[in-house]
Amino acid sequence: MGSAEEDYNFVFKVVLIGESGVGKTNLLSRFTRNEFNHDSRTTIGVEFSTRTILVGDAVVKAQIWDTAGLERYRAITSAYYRGAVGALVVFDITKHQTYDVVDRWLKELYDHAEASIVVMLVGNKTDLAQAREVPMEEAKMFADNNGLLFVETSALDSTNVEEAFETILKEIFYKVQKQKQRSSQSNMVSLASENPASTAPAQAERRPCCVAL
Amino acid sequence: PAALPPAPLGFTDVSLNSRNTYEVSRRRSAPEHLPHGGTAPAEPAPPPQEPAERARHRVGIAGAGSSFAEFFTRNFFTKRTKELKPAVQSAPGWKLFGKVPPRENLPKDSKIIQQEYEARTGRMYKPPPSSARRKNIEFEPLSTTALILEDRPANLPAKSVEEALRHRQEYDEMVAEAKKREIKEAHKRKKIMRERFKQEENIASAMVIWVNEILPNWEGMRATRRVRELWWQGLPPSVRGKVWSLAVGNELNITPELYEIFLSRAKERWKSFSETSSENDTEDAGASVADREASLELIKLDISRTFPSLYIFQKGGPYHDLLHSVLGAYTCYRPDVGYVQGMSFIAAVLILNLEEADAFIAFANLLNKPCQLAFFRVDHSMMLKYFAAFEVFFEENLPKLFLHFKSYSLTPDIYLIDWIFTLYSKSLPLDLACRVWDVFCRDGEEFLFRTGLGILRLYEDILLQMDFIHIAQFLTKLPEDITSEKLFSCIAAIQMQNSNKKWAQVFASLMKDNKEGDKNHSPASKS
Repeated sequence: MGSAEEDYNFVFKVVLIGESGVGKTNLLSRFTRNEFNHDSRTTIGVEFSTRTILVGDAVVKAQIWDTAGLERYRAITSAYYRGAVGALVVFDITKHQTYDVVDRWLKELYDHAEASIVVMLVGNKTDLAQAREVPMEEAKMFADNNGLLFVETSALDSTNVEEAFETILKEIFYKVQKQKQRSSQSNMVSLASENPASTAPAQAERRPCCVAL
Repeated sequence: PAALPPAPLGFTDVSLNSRNTYEVSRRRSAPEHLPHGGTAPAEPAPPPQEPAERARHRVGIAGAGSSFAEFFTRNFFTKRTKELKPAVQSAPGWKLFGKVPPRENLPKDSKIIQQEYEARTGRMYKPPPSSARRKNIEFEPLSTTALILEDRPANLPAKSVEEALRHRQEYDEMVAEAKKREIKEAHKRKKIMRERFKQEENIASAMVIWVNEILPNWEGMRATRRVRELWWQGLPPSVRGKVWSLAVGNELNITPELYEIFLSRAKERWKSFSETSSENDTEDAGASVADREASLELIKLDISRTFPSLYIFQKGGPYHDLLHSVLGAYTCYRPDVGYVQGMSFIAAVLILNLEEADAFIAFANLLNKPCQLAFFRVDHSMMLKYFAAFEVFFEENLPKLFLHFKSYSLTPDIYLIDWIFTLYSKSLPLDLACRVWDVFCRDGEEFLFRTGLGILRLYEDILLQMDFIHIAQFLTKLPEDITSEKLFSCIAAIQMQNSNKKWAQVFASLMKDNKEGDKNHSPASKS
């Protein structure tokens, strides 16, 4: 397991949540494999993908949990929020209903994840602008009022997908750095598990999920 | 040969014709799994595609190579097309080693070249009827016209005697070597063909037994050892639907008439929703109407995401409306369960094997089994019991892997949810999933978990090398080249016995623990 992909300094667990059919799986496949599938299969339970990016000098491995959107599955999927340091709450800009329930998704998220989790609101499907039902300003304001990052994307034409993931990973990275500085004296548990690849990669591999706070 | 046209959408062309067609296409494409042997150049692994398409794709790759395997591929098909174009084989341009003196170099005329070309390309578009295959197993080593020793053209000085002799010798060596390889390849191919035919004959003879002996005496014979063994081998596709129906049973006593009633109710509902989608003041409370509407929306959304690669359930596809009907009727029949993701895959597999009303009856009865009911009602605490029972047998059968997973806190829900909800129809190749269903119908829920352990056993060595995320990724997206022989031999090796306790007993004792342990634990989220 000595491939370049495995030499990373940080592993960040990020969850993708939101209503069924808003395009979570395609956002992820666009980011990790640069693929888009018009007929992607229904996600049942949870699926996984990873991608490693560079933040400054640090190699950050995003471990992304793509969860099923079905309301009834939430009892199961909410367990997967534990240990996540980032979350993308995705809605479909052409379906107001998927935006209306963002509140509920957030509540679910904060109930099960750590308070320090970095959350980004993502309005997907901007390629269908003519069918837009959620004004960008409205979503932006909602995000600002709730302390969320915000971006509009199109997994289909790649608009902002890279940016969305990079932004949230950077934000998590800075948060971790800040906390690390503080905890260097007080010996607090850091937000993310650290993996100094040069010294003990095997050990870090052992526990790729982020340490719970 | 020149680059072959891209493999056509393997499924659509055959699948539109009849039910069970994916089986047809599987069996039809299977003999084309040609060996590439040691002589074939390294080829890239076929990209992930559905089985039939993949099989064709492999042919394409073999044909594009430049080895003797290529030649054989071509010749094999040339033979198969012989019946369509008898002129090809008897054309004078074809030379066999040892039969035609190399110096007699007849130029190929364009007509022969065209015939050859047609023979070669014809197979891409006109697969011969399956009966044609049976006659052509005999081995005859044929060789290539490409290897011919020629004199220098007349306008150049002739070779010296030594040079000509040396070339002659080299040529003979090459020919001998080529011939050896060809014979080896041909033997290999012959062996594979023989196995295929044996398998097909087994299916054919099994079908006779099922139709003539077992089905007429179903109740008396279903539990006999002979039938159970035959059942394990996989049901012949032509009786598969029938056996599934009988095995699942109909304790809900649903009749085709009842299905029609619920279907027309569903249709009314769709109509009224599309007409007055904003008004929620119909007979029920607003919230439940909205829920049901969302449920109907969800069915629509999911149908296009069910076996997308088959192109038969998508909008405009032949089974689109059928799948819609079965799922819609079910939500009217069981509003307490409603539509839950995963159902579309189960209904789709049933539709592929049964008539509409029978598919609905089997669907409703199947979902009424305790395990399916627990999952589709998303009864979390019950699901955890199933996972716990699974882990008991996991530890028993694969202790090393069990500890490995434990060390990463990798819980079975991560992979089992998808497997159990869709009865493996989403995660395994469809023909293999059907074989799992066969034995699931025989053995019940226990077999679903046994299959899961079989998969883990099959990939145990690889999984032991992986860390959390790689295992999770691997198990939620299994390799597409998984074969039924390997998987079933791994499943067979899984013992569903835990210190003399069988699955049902282990599960029952976990349920008992649950009742006793309830006061100590915070209540799990129930439905």
